[in-house]
Amino acid sequence: MRAVLVTGSTTPIGAALIRSLLEAPEVERVLAVGIELDPGTDLPLGNAGLTYHRVDLTRERHVRRLIFGPVREAGVDAVVHTALHRSAHDQGKAVHRLNVEATRSLLHLCERHPTVRRFIYRSFAEVYRHDHEHPSLIGEGEPLELRPDVPQRVRDRVEADLTVCTRMGMSPLQICVLRVAEILAPQSGSQLWDWLASPVCLRPLGFDPMVNLISADDAARAVVLALRTDAQGVFNVPGRDTLPLSKVVELWHRLDVPAPGPLLRPLYWIRRLAIGTDFRYRLNEGRLHTSDLLDGARAREVLGYEPLRSIDWPSNGTGGS
Amino acid sequence: MPLPSSDELARLLRFRDAGHGFDEFGFHPPTLGKSLKVVRHLYERYFRVQSHGAHHIPREGGGVIAANHSGTLPLDGVMLVLDVLANTDPRRLARPVFDLFVPRLPFVGTFFARCGGVSGTRGNFRRLLEAGELVSVFPEGVPGVAKTFWHRYQLQGWRVGHVELAIRHRVPVIPAAIIGAEEQWPLLARFDSFKLFGAPYLPIPATPFPLPVRYRIHYGEPIPFHEEHPPEASDDPAIVAAGAARVKAAVAALISNGLREREGIF
Repeated sequence: MRAVLVTGSTTPIGAALIRSLLEAPEVERVLAVGIELDPGTDLPLGNAGLTYHRVDLTRERHVRRLIFGPVREAGVDAVVHTALHRSAHDQGKAVHRLNVEATRSLLHLCERHPTVRRFIYRSFAEVYRHDHEHPSLIGEGEPLELRPDVPQRVRDRVEADLTVCTRMGMSPLQICVLRVAEILAPQSGSQLWDWLASPVCLRPLGFDPMVNLISADDAARAVVLALRTDAQGVFNVPGRDTLPLSKVVELWHRLDVPAPGPLLRPLYWIRRLAIGTDFRYRLNEGRLHTSDLLDGARAREVLGYEPLRSIDWPSNGTGGS
Repeated sequence: MPLPSSDELARLLRFRDAGHGFDEFGFHPPTLGKSLKVVRHLYERYFRVQSHGAHHIPREGGGVIAANHSGTLPLDGVMLVLDVLANTDPRRLARPVFDLFVPRLPFVGTFFARCGGVSGTRGNFRRLLEAGELVSVFPEGVPGVAKTFWHRYQLQGWRVGHVELAIRHRVPVIPAAIIGAEEQWPLLARFDSFKLFGAPYLPIPATPFPLPVRYRIHYGEPIPFHEEHPPEASDDPAIVAAGAARVKAAVAALISNGLREREGIF
């Protein structure tokens, strides 16, 4: 790969990925895409190999202009798509356009592109269905969350994931879908991050499921490894930290308060009304009860990926990333 | 051989730490150690477990211990795990594979997981065998633990998955008979319509507490399905069913011998 296009560049994984790509000797140029006017200080914009492009991915004409303009001029041969709507509460067509339609549109444009050869889609562990009857370690073949009553956030993620998966083998591109564990960081759409933002963390009494968390650096490394191979297919990308939910609360210096399950939905509804957090109990009910960890065997064998870096646990009560 | 102390436990067991003192299934040796302080009294003093044929348990590598199941509450599973722990050198934990409804039970599911238990999905079972772990299964399932006093020592329906996975993952099956548990807490009746938290039934035992029967656990010779069949044979339903029938017959024979040899229930 000589030049790489990265969408969602202002997210923690996007910024970490861009830093990793700029350090990779085989990468000459990185084109970072974001919606923000000012991409902030996380991106090393002073680096000569990096250019930032402000593009609204929900506007196909803007995307087309990007793909057949700067992307062609730079001879981009790989596209990494990580952009997604972050808030769990926003719903509707506009959100769907970014989550799903923009993915479909970007993929189709890349298929017609003269230089792009590889398409990496960053997907999520959330696409899997939470169920006590599934293995504790989820392989890539486990059922996806396709129940009709799931919130749009999950439905969009599953649809986007499947949209990319269905093109595998039919597309001229080499397609790779990375289902990445949760990044416990702000601006990453992490529900757990928002859950831990409160000094008191309520969780279902009698349940303490195992969770797996990944650092942005490990997630970025998995993408770089995927870019270095010709491997196609779906890969689970777990993180270094596997621990019970109660331990997460303890390490985050929060107060762990188990409460009877039926009370949690109204309590979290009140909490949202009172302090306006993004955490939605309905979205997280499954994983607050069930241990679902990603099985990274395939990523280990094919991509050579091993989680190396633990997330930065806070040393005091201030929270961390 | 005595049970190890709780402090010894983490050091003696081969434990695959996933990073924070827990393995990927939630096993936490210190919790097992604390539990051991309590349940060792059940093992040593209340049920006074006698072990026979523990030399058949593999010293290393994967293996499946398949036993009869009974007792209203699965105390036989606890005693089997303790018996393997007490009679193996190096110490081995026979990871109990429990039914799929157990993780839905508040407290119980988490506690079992912290003590080394694993939900009985095919993926979990495979993962344990691939890691060279010893697992204990009760192929009778819930119908075994829910059998009434009048059906004691009569093996109920016998699942076949343990043989399929033993063939595929190249491990032996060790038949075991647990004598005593079938009289420990006679079941008078059960309410099958009571399904709180996914529990299959509500038991109505004849006594308020389990009776202090003496447990006798007999291990049979390992059945080397993995040496008799190639891994592909695990996809042949006839071979797997015949293998499961062989395990069931071996357990039935161990039960029969065990009952003949024992002099009294207590």
